[in-house]
Formats: sequence, C-alpha cells, structure tokens
Amino acid sequence: MNMKNPLINWVLAIVIVVAVFYGLNHGVMSMQGLPLNVDLTPVQ
Amino acid sequence: MNSDILNKNKIRVILSLLFALMLAGMISVSVSNEVYAASEITSIEDRIRSVDTGGLSADQFKVEPKSVGFPPFAAPKLKAKDYSKIMGVSSRSIVWVVAQMHLFFAAFVLAVPLFVLVIEWIGAKSGDERYDDMAHECMKISMTAFSITAIFGGLLAFALFILYPQFMGYMMNVFNTQVLVYALLFFAESFFLYLYYYSWYAYRWGNKKWVHLTLGLMLNVVGTTILLLANAWVTFMMAPTGVDDAGAVTGGIWEIMRGPLWNPINLHRFIANIAFGGAVIGAYAAYKFLSATDLKARAHYDWMGYTANFIAILAFLPLPFAGYWLMAEIYAYSQQMGITAMGGILAWLFIVQAVLIGTILLAGNYYLWSGMSRTKGSERYTWMIKYIAMVLVTCFLIWVTPHTLILSASEMKLLGGSHHHLLGPLGIMPAKNIAVNLMLIFTFLSFQLYRRSDKEITVGWAGFGNALMVSIYVVAIVNVIFAGVYYGYFTNTVYKVGSSVAQVVSTLVVIIAGVVIDTYMFKGAKKLPSEWGKVSNRAQYALFALPVAFTWLMALMGYVRSSVRTNWHVYTVMKDNSPDNYIPAIGFAGNMMTIVTVLFLIFVLFIFWVASLSDTKQPKPDFLTGDK
Repeated sequence: MNMKNPLINWVLAIVIVVAVFYGLNHGVMSMQGLPLNVDLTPVQ
Repeated sequence: MNSDILNKNKIRVILSLLFALMLAGMISVSVSNEVYAASEITSIEDRIRSVDTGGLSADQFKVEPKSVGFPPFAAPKLKAKDYSKIMGVSSRSIVWVVAQMHLFFAAFVLAVPLFVLVIEWIGAKSGDERYDDMAHECMKISMTAFSITAIFGGLLAFALFILYPQFMGYMMNVFNTQVLVYALLFFAESFFLYLYYYSWYAYRWGNKKWVHLTLGLMLNVVGTTILLLANAWVTFMMAPTGVDDAGAVTGGIWEIMRGPLWNPINLHRFIANIAFGGAVIGAYAAYKFLSATDLKARAHYDWMGYTANFIAILAFLPLPFAGYWLMAEIYAYSQQMGITAMGGILAWLFIVQAVLIGTILLAGNYYLWSGMSRTKGSERYTWMIKYIAMVLVTCFLIWVTPHTLILSASEMKLLGGSHHHLLGPLGIMPAKNIAVNLMLIFTFLSFQLYRRSDKEITVGWAGFGNALMVSIYVVAIVNVIFAGVYYGYFTNTVYKVGSSVAQVVSTLVVIIAGVVIDTYMFKGAKKLPSEWGKVSNRAQYALFALPVAFTWLMALMGYVRSSVRTNWHVYTVMKDNSPDNYIPAIGFAGNMMTIVTVLFLIFVLFIFWVASLSDTKQPKPDFLTGDK
C-alpha cells in the first residue's frame, strides 16, 4: 500500500468504504427478511 | 516487605468481603424467587376475601392457578369510590409530580457514580490528579441528591399506598418478595455510597486505589440492579407477563419481570440517565465557572464543563436508537399501543420531542464550537462550522415539520388539501429518519473536530486514515439519504421500515469507526497548547440549556410512556376506574411537565448551593480575634 500517494489513498479508501456499506445494506435488510437485488432494489 | 505483604493481605480480605457481599446479593435474589415459588397459600379463598372487591363476590375473582405453588390472585375490579382523594386534589396529579421528581433525582444519582468510576479509573491509570479531583467533586454534588431521592421515594410510596391502595396491594402481591429485595438493596447502596465517598482520600494511592475503585464498582452494580428491579414494575404495568387474563399470577418472578419491554426500557433508561447526569454536572460546572473569580478555578470548571458535555453528548448519540428499539417492541407487543403513542393524540408530542432534542443537539454543538477557541489548532477546522450549522438547522426544521395540520375549512381550501404539497412528504418518518441520522452524524463530526483541534497527527498512515474517515462520512451520509428517499418513498412499507435499521447502522458505523480510527491516529500525536478557562461565557449558557431540555424531555416522554396504557393500571389486566382514567389533555400535561421541570431545577440549584457551601470557610470575625 502506497501511503505517500494521495490519489491511491483516496481511491482505495472510497472503494473499501463503498464495498462495506453495500455489504451492510444487503446484510441488514436480509437479516430482517427483506432481501435486495444486486442493484439494491427490493426482491419482489 | 512485610508491610507490603500485610497490605496485600488486607486488600485480599477486603476484596473477598466484597465478593462475598456480591454473592450474597445474588443468592438473595435467587432465594427470593424460590421462596416466592414455594410459598403455600393455606387458604386461597381467604386471600381473595381479604381484598376490597368493590362489591363483587370472591367467586368472581376465583381463578384456577396454571402452575402449582403460585398464588392465584386476580386483579381487583375497582369502582370510582374505591379511590381515595386528598382535599379534592387529583390523585393522579399528586402522584405525577412526586413520581417525576423521584425519577429525575434517581436518574441523576444512579448515573453520576457510573461515569465517576470511569473518570476515577482514567485518573488512576494516567496518574493525572485532576481526574481524581473532578470525580470526587461530582460525587460531592450527588451526595445531597441521594437524600432528596430517598425523600421523594418515600413520599411516592406513601402517596401510592394512600391514593391507590388496591392497585398497590395487587402489585405487592404480584412482585411479592422482589419488593423486599429492592428495599434491602438500598442498604447495600447506602453502604457502598458512604464507603466510596468518605474513603476517597483514605484510599487514594497504590493498591488502595484499586480497593476504592472496587467499592465504586459495587456501588454501580447495586445501583444498576435497583434500576432494573424498578423498571420491571413499570414494564409489567405496560406489558404484563407471568399473569393470566384476570391478572392472577401464573409464573415465577423472573417470568413476571422479563416482559417484552423490560430490556428496551433498561437500555433506554441506562443510557438516558448517563446523558442526563452529564448534563446536570455540566450545569454545575457552568455555574461555578461563571461565579469563579480566579483563572485557576475558571480553568478547572471549564475543563469540568467540557468533560460533562462530552459525557452527555456521547451518551446521547445512541439514545434515539434505544428509543427506536423500545417503540418497535411496543408495536410488536400491541399495535394499538404503538398507534396510541405515535399515531393518535400523543403523536404531536413527538414533534415537541424533536424540538427538545434539536435544542440539545444545537446547544451541544455550539458548546463544542465555542470550546474549539481554546486552542489555535482549531483554526484548521473552523471553516467547517458554518456548514455543520446549516445541516443541523435544516434537519431540525425537517424534524419539526408536522404531517397533519389542524386546519379550518378555509385554511384547507387555501392550502389545496389537508397536507401541504411540499411539507406533507417532510412530515412522515422517512424524512425524519434522514434528518435525525444526519444530525447525529454531524454532531459526531463536531465532536471529532473538537478532539482533533489540539493535536497534530504524526502517524505515517495519517493520509490514508483521513481519506478513510472522510470516505466513511460521505458514503454514510449518501447511504442515509438514499435509504430514506428510495425505500421510504418508492418501495412498500416493510422496506420503508426495514431501511431505517440500515440508516441507524450507517450512523453507528461513523461513530464507531471515528472513535477507533482516532484512537490509533492519536498515538504519538503532538499536543498543541490549550488555554482552559478562556472559553466565552456564552458557551456556559449552552451548558445550562442542556439539563433544562433533558429534564423537560424526560417529563414529556414519561407522560407518553405512561399514557399509552390509556385506561388501565396494568394494561389489559387491571382497569383504572378512577376519575382520572383518561389520557390527560396535552395542554394540561404541558403545564404539569413545566411544573416538575421548574421544581427539579430549583432543587438542583439548591444542591449546587449546598455543594458550594462545603468549600466556603467563614473568616473569623475581628471581635473574636481581638483585632481592632
């Protein structure tokens, strides 16, 4: 991990966080019996 | 060497004694349960006849026990004449005032030792004596409050037994020896309280400090147990368990206590008490700050005010989620009860609640922004304050937007319907969920900026750490808005309700990640100078605003929580047939809440004054010293 390159820092950080929140949305909704599609729309 | 061994042995003896006491407490609870379960009723008929039945025969109360060994004691069916009255004054109003005062003080005195213990522990670990002195001062304030709590507790018990004797008789029968355990715990509470407070300077250093911390821990164990036992009575009245439809006991004491609302109330009150206690201590610090004449005292009380605000806001941040859990459990237990709370006459009170919570958050944020002026390092962040303020005010306005307006026909015609085309969508929960979550996220941002103001981070991964923190804020905010707008307005109701959990989790991720990342980033950070005592006087008024809003808020939500039982003493089991068996009108309730809030604040001022008296020494008059 190149800690000195600001661009890599920002891209890496944003990718990690988006992935975590995307997973959280799926996880939290599924746990309540409300599954989501890949694009976060409700599974009908 | 010998003296060390002697000291260690003494400590072992004291710790063993404390452990034995704790064990004895646990056994007493367990035994009380078993005694209760094993108690044999020699004559069930006699027990039933001994109750004032309000003209009904004992046979009508007769209920077959579902399990052997428990008293089948049905809830009495009362008539208006069964209720006492003192000089024509509403019994409910008397109990309302006394119960609320007892609850305010109980919340305060149970909360203060909790954070005092943590402050003392930080002092012991860091070796910074300021923490120890501040912890002791907090306890000094709460000592007077303990006596007032006990006085109001006694008054409340007498008022209830005189004004609602049959109801109290029924409750005593249901909870039986648990009530005695509760009373006995007060002995333990007093024992540890006095020992903890008066041994402060005797057990200040070395191993003795750990004995002192153990005493504090025991005080909190007992205090929290008292809270949990008393909560069981409240939640039994709202959602009774362990009894049949007629109110006859069918289960053990544990079954009666652990109703569906017990743990949500336990969590909610535990957190709320800490926030409330912090706010009252903050007001004390502000009072002392404003009255201090020398810079040293101002610096001390500035720091104390900051710490108290820190405690109040940090405890307050997860509180809405605990409240959310409580309401969800209320809905799960009884949809009718939930709708009474949030969809009927009481719904408007949640708008008032929003105003009060908004006041707390704005005051808390304002205090943090003012406090940033203590260090020049804050200049790096001050440009963000105006944007945070804009978000807070916008969210506050959305939160206080009502859904249904009380309109005349002509007003409705002018508006083009019962809902304003723009404000209508902002009056429903998805908009409010977005608003409250954003307010909490931005309050945490203020808090984080404050903590970073006096530090220069030196870790090698600071760039990535900052990028990660900013990304978490941005993505969490986008997620909160996306979940609120998309699932709230464009999908079905179940997804709308479910998405609020995703919003809560997003906010919690920001708070937890912020604390964890900062903890690691602050390692080896360069500390910039802070000038304690030079904060503006205006900031102190924000500290005064916090306990006022907290007290009013507790009175307001206590009214809501109690009112959802409608015309029942014990919901669906024991009807309230007193002249006051209706939900009091909002205007009347507003007056009652204001009376108890003002009364509490007067008592709090008295406590502050008494605490100040102990620091004051009257100089010996000239005529006694012989000077002329």
